[in-house]
Amino acid sequence: MLNRKSIIGSLMVLAMAGTATARAEEILRFATWDTDESLAIQQEIAKKFEEKHPGVKVQVEPYADGYDQKLIAAFGAGNPPDVMYMWNFPQYYTSLKPLDDLIAKGAAEIKPDDFPKGLMNTVRVEGKTYGMPSGFTTQVVFYNKDMFAKAGVEEPKDGWTWDDLRAKAAKFRDEPNKVYGFAVDAKPDPYDFEQFLWSNGTKYISDDGKKIDGYMNSDAAAQVLDMFADMAKTQEAITLNLGDDTSGSTLFKGGKIAMFQSAMWSKSGIDASGIKYGVAPLPKFGDKTAHSALGVSAISIAKDAAHPDLAWEFVKFFSSPEAVAMRVNDLPVRTSVAEEKGMTKDPIYKPFFDILATSNSETHAFLKNANWGKVQDNLARAIEATMIDQGNAKQHLDDAVARSKRLVK
Amino acid sequence: MDMTYAAATPAVEKRKRSAFARHIVAYLFISPWILGFLFFTLGPLVFSLTMSFYDWPVVGERSFVGLENYRSMLFEDPQFWESLWITVKFAAIYVPFNIVMSFLLALMLHHITFASGFFRTAFYLPSVISGVALVTIWSWIYSREYGLLNFMLSFVGIDGPNWLGDPNLAIVAIIIASLWGLGGTMLILLTGLKAIPKELYEAATVSGVPGWAQMVFITLPMLGPMLLFTFITSIISAFQQLTIALLLTKGGPLGSTYFFAMYIYDNAFKYFDMGYAAAGSWVMFIIVLLLSLGVMRWSAAWVYYEGEVRQNDGENNA
Repeated sequence: MLNRKSIIGSLMVLAMAGTATARAEEILRFATWDTDESLAIQQEIAKKFEEKHPGVKVQVEPYADGYDQKLIAAFGAGNPPDVMYMWNFPQYYTSLKPLDDLIAKGAAEIKPDDFPKGLMNTVRVEGKTYGMPSGFTTQVVFYNKDMFAKAGVEEPKDGWTWDDLRAKAAKFRDEPNKVYGFAVDAKPDPYDFEQFLWSNGTKYISDDGKKIDGYMNSDAAAQVLDMFADMAKTQEAITLNLGDDTSGSTLFKGGKIAMFQSAMWSKSGIDASGIKYGVAPLPKFGDKTAHSALGVSAISIAKDAAHPDLAWEFVKFFSSPEAVAMRVNDLPVRTSVAEEKGMTKDPIYKPFFDILATSNSETHAFLKNANWGKVQDNLARAIEATMIDQGNAKQHLDDAVARSKRLVK
Repeated sequence: MDMTYAAATPAVEKRKRSAFARHIVAYLFISPWILGFLFFTLGPLVFSLTMSFYDWPVVGERSFVGLENYRSMLFEDPQFWESLWITVKFAAIYVPFNIVMSFLLALMLHHITFASGFFRTAFYLPSVISGVALVTIWSWIYSREYGLLNFMLSFVGIDGPNWLGDPNLAIVAIIIASLWGLGGTMLILLTGLKAIPKELYEAATVSGVPGWAQMVFITLPMLGPMLLFTFITSIISAFQQLTIALLLTKGGPLGSTYFFAMYIYDNAFKYFDMGYAAAGSWVMFIIVLLLSLGVMRWSAAWVYYEGEVRQNDGENNA
């Protein structure tokens, strides 16, 4: 009897202790798609936030590859995280908290003008702001300095064109050793690919999101695709993702291609490979201005967040100069931080920021039409078909437009 | 007769009651399965039918649209017809190959006397491997540069093709990979072969019936129900083909392996258009149902059930 009593007693003490700690700690759930180093950085930021807010615990939930599936399931089940990484605003915005009022109220602290306009464009739907940018990347061309020196080819310069790139690439062609000047992707991410259409004076879809005929399949668009297909045909470039999944970064790091078009996410791997490289801006089409796609990691608050005030504190901290400066795996979203770190002058980082300034006049297609995901798959197929065919872009793009008619009304 | 019946009545009543009680116990015993069926099969089934009449995004407002999902799918969505056609092509090749090869293997195993246990295990083994592992193995086999298949072909002087990168070959590659798992079908047919009474063959041999005729007039008819069963399950699994295409080719190249199941999967879990995906599932269900019914009806002409007396036989006897 005594034994049993003491067990019950100790259980009660335990239970009370349990509720006591639960009350002392407020748990804020934060979902991210990042892994490895980038995740570690965010966990550091979360720790800093906990230090500043005693009694708060930030539960970092890394959903990794299954991010969209897990997040949408959480929303569907009515149990979303308080704060989450966000890119697909049209899909989720009805369940997210609009931040405009909060930003206006905290303007003195937040300094909204410190965020480049192009980045803020990517977090707005129908004129309302649903997230704060926390990191970003633009697209550039990495080039192998040793290969350029060895082949006696002049390194790329600011304001270079695709014709320049092709002329340089042709000089590296060495079929027996499988060495090429450049790589074109048969299955590029259509999100990034739109930058070439912008740079050539067109876009996937009209700004009102209602028309793709005459945009996605315009002559300017076909010209872009045909150019890449022709680069593959003349072997100025090797084709990636045609039944073989060797990545462009693997080839570049192995000295098999002299130039490689990519973004910040390739940089740490290239650094680790130890090759001597330079960074050039995206080439222009003739004398038209080059535009870059914007890869933005933003964070948003769920409309039904369990701790809305705490969530906003976290979002503010996440995009504060202190936290932004900690993110070394992508680029600082605050101009002040970028300048303070000297990145806007550093030859490796400068091209990323230069093109950001000219990439604020276009909006990514998925922000204009809710059905874009489906249209994009038809488009991806047209790009792949053009690369397999090594041409006929116009026909394949017309086909993609015809197949997408149902989706764009 | 009447007397006996009347006398037996109270006893029958009693037995009836106790039978009822016994049934309650039986139902209780199978209730876990019944409840599971109601909640996890029938419930979702009815729910998905409801869903198919709605515009049903996971996040956001859902609205009733009647037959709009079905109309749009059948009349406006080329992807629907393309994926259906790819699936039909796949089934038309996969199903006969699956049955004929399983049958031949079963026949071989049935007659083999040397190390039969080993061969039985060896042929069945691939069926035990789960989908993802199987796909990983096949992606190594098919790899253009480093693949086992092209490596072997190089010994006989053939420069192996790009199996998964060629829009015409990728579907062939998927059929071959799918056929690898025919062990299950083979085992069913082998069991069927073992169940055929030896006396039939002995009698035939004594009467001087040649081997091929024994096959046509004894083996195949006796195996009829098993063949029908494997035929229908093969059709169903062919229509549900998803894992291999999803993981091995992701539906490509150029959508050449974009199966109907993948079309449904994408609508649900890539575009989060649940109502449209549910409508697709119901279209698939109806197609499979009609095919199965067709096969069942057709089977009356060639499947013979032991112990079943055919109607015209009965008439003859009378």
